[in-house]
Amino acid sequence: MNITTRMRWFALGTLAAVAATQPLAAHKLREAGVTVEVAKSDLTVTPSVAWNRLNPRTGKDNETWTLDGEELNDVTFYGQVEEGKTLLLEVDKRNRPLPRFSDTMLLTDIPPMLETTYRIARDLRLFEITGMEPAELSGHKAIRFTYEFVGPDEVRRKGEADAAIVDGALYMMTYEAPQIFFFDQSLEKYRQLRDSMALG
Amino acid sequence: MKIIVRLLAAFALAATGLATPNFASAQEKTAIRDGFEFPQDRRARVLLFRPSIKVGAQSTGGMFEPRAEWTEAARVNIEAALDSYQVNLGHVVVEQPETFGYDAQLVREYQALFGAVARSVIDYQFFIGNRLETKKQDNREDKFRWSLGPGVADLPGAENADYVLFINTEDHYGSTGRKILQVLAAASVGYGVKSGLHAGYAGLVDLKTGDVLWINADYAMGGDVREAEGAEKRVRQLLEEFPLASEGAETQR
Amino acid sequence: MRLLRFGKLGLALAAACAASAPLQADDFAVPPYEGAYQPQGEDERGLWMMADEDERLLRDSRLVITDEALNEYVRGVLCRTIGEDRCGSVRLYILRVPYFNASMAPNGTMRVYSGLLLRVRNEAELASVLGHEFAHFELRHTLWGFKRARTGSDLVAWTTLLGAMAASYGGATSSSGADIQTSVLGTIYRYKRDHERAADLLGFGYLANAGYRASAAADVWRGVMNESDRSAEIRGRRTNRYDSVAFFASHPTDLERADTLSYFANRVQGGEREGSDAYREAMAPWREEFLKDQLMLGDFGASDFLIERLAGEQWSPDLLYARAELYRGRGNPRDLVASADFYRDALKQDPDLANAYRGLGLALLRTGNRTAGSEAIKIYLDRVPNAEDAGMLRMMMEQ
Repeated sequence: MNITTRMRWFALGTLAAVAATQPLAAHKLREAGVTVEVAKSDLTVTPSVAWNRLNPRTGKDNETWTLDGEELNDVTFYGQVEEGKTLLLEVDKRNRPLPRFSDTMLLTDIPPMLETTYRIARDLRLFEITGMEPAELSGHKAIRFTYEFVGPDEVRRKGEADAAIVDGALYMMTYEAPQIFFFDQSLEKYRQLRDSMALG
Repeated sequence: MKIIVRLLAAFALAATGLATPNFASAQEKTAIRDGFEFPQDRRARVLLFRPSIKVGAQSTGGMFEPRAEWTEAARVNIEAALDSYQVNLGHVVVEQPETFGYDAQLVREYQALFGAVARSVIDYQFFIGNRLETKKQDNREDKFRWSLGPGVADLPGAENADYVLFINTEDHYGSTGRKILQVLAAASVGYGVKSGLHAGYAGLVDLKTGDVLWINADYAMGGDVREAEGAEKRVRQLLEEFPLASEGAETQR
Repeated sequence: MRLLRFGKLGLALAAACAASAPLQADDFAVPPYEGAYQPQGEDERGLWMMADEDERLLRDSRLVITDEALNEYVRGVLCRTIGEDRCGSVRLYILRVPYFNASMAPNGTMRVYSGLLLRVRNEAELASVLGHEFAHFELRHTLWGFKRARTGSDLVAWTTLLGAMAASYGGATSSSGADIQTSVLGTIYRYKRDHERAADLLGFGYLANAGYRASAAADVWRGVMNESDRSAEIRGRRTNRYDSVAFFASHPTDLERADTLSYFANRVQGGEREGSDAYREAMAPWREEFLKDQLMLGDFGASDFLIERLAGEQWSPDLLYARAELYRGRGNPRDLVASADFYRDALKQDPDLANAYRGLGLALLRTGNRTAGSEAIKIYLDRVPNAEDAGMLRMMMEQ
């Protein structure tokens, strides 16, 4: 999230910590080898190394994991995104509404949906889909696509995502990290997570 | 302003009489990579780039709007302050060669990346109440392991230096931050009594490995960088714990 | 009353006269060219320096369209409009930015956005906007009320919606500390009403001299305002304000603006030249790309209006295709049916438009017409076997 949002959450967390003598915004450890449910859905994954699940969520149906912080490595799971739902929380609903998932969508409609969502919600300077190919997610037909983008922090990032539409709902995993050093650094760990994904 | 409402609710809870430790002073702001020591037998060469400087205003919508005049003033002031402060850095300071095109772009990209690393260090290893479990573990073991990767060796001037010193400042003067932080100030929590964001990150990076050997990073630094005196204060704060003796550095250009 | 001088006094006089007396034919007279202007005084020189620094960054930006033919054509229209003498003081940059805007900096840098080139339909319309901007420059309006900030929320919004061809902005600041974005895109100057009027008069003078149809000016403004209305309407919003459009952030506008321009147009001794054919020909290689950029903005109402306006009496295959993509993008059940029809109409006119088979196939698949959809996609893949999404399309046909 951008620096302003983060500062607000710090303020909140700090005060709440005072109130509760315990951090409100505690990020949870995700231990290696332990299968867990993600994105409040029937998606599960089994990490091969320890990850951290971040609070708060950036969308109603998603969950973000990281190793060093979401600016350096960001794996986000989207679970059971149904008709009419957005991927992320609206930033300016009246003037610049986010695209909504439709259960008639085809897999090739998912990359443009992500693109428009990010452009609006993350204030991107630049976004480009760099490739796509058929894939499989837990036995279901899926689209795997790669992309690059630059946000207000001027850091060039790469992304790799897998998405499937099952029973009219969208399930997706995205991995994003700075192009310099970090993307390659954790790519294998992301792919292990992806390959461990089970649906239902 | 939903956040404000929740803040106030939390504050109300807090006001039911719990002790309020001063989080600002309790928070870490610097770190050194475990096991790092400057070589004692010779003078190390430190590559120094023109700092990355952003100054602007926070609009009512919460968006950051860069202000050219403020940024220009800050640049002049910070560079002047840095020029006179360099003697305290010790060792040989190798300044960035004139760069154009691809090289200049590469420097900017690494400066942006350094900013991302600095923020991650603050958020997830330094900041009490927000640390990642894996970083807490590192803290317990006195580990500080962050890197920009070995690609730093491609930076212009890297062939003539052992280390690179990154300096980033970002200042947002504005209303949103001020409101929140004034609430906090009222609660005597002590976090960032100043309004807005006044971030500074200084980091010493090994040019062979990209490892961050030393960092000083904070979102609430002092000094109004648009003024000469404020910029001096900021530079001092950024570099006061630079892990070197200060015996008259030579500057190579 | 003649516009005798370009100082503040001259303008004040002009404004006073214009406000109080009815228009005379020679209100539109274009004064003789006085040679290139040089900045005077510290403030002006400072502004020129900043504008020069901006231009340096602009020149290197990947947003600039360097194509010689396009630049020659647009420059040609500009020079015909304001005359060769004046044209010599302008450095023209065409930027790939999908918004309607053109602007001039105090040092003679003129920026024309591709969104403007997409929206105007002929040379007269283009000339009216370029002439108007140059008039502000000639009258030195750009030196007053200088505001170095981004305004106009669509311009801010645009930076989040630019396509793959856009510049990367690298560092946050140039060596002078300027925000690179502002340097490349241009600063928004907000002109005052009396400046607008003075620029209108001089602008119409240029148009008349060049023999262009003066009422084109009203057409353009009407078009952009209607587009803004339609965009708001589709979003379920009602507004009489146009501030969010960058061009209107510079040129304060209201519902009467187009009427005012019509009024002026009727009183100037203009010509009849439109240049529709020449314009269409010059834009032909660019329209598809500019339309794609426009669609990427995700503004259904504006895009729909714009495409319709471009079509006018006659729907060409590329406009039918663009319309089909637009509707398929919104993707409601009725949109998908309409989009399939538009693709078919495009193909009737141009059976070689392979991409239309792709779009048709996808629209049909989405409505559940598996057989027909697969057939269309098959035709597309036969023609474009190495398409980027060929693998995906084949998989989707199999299901």
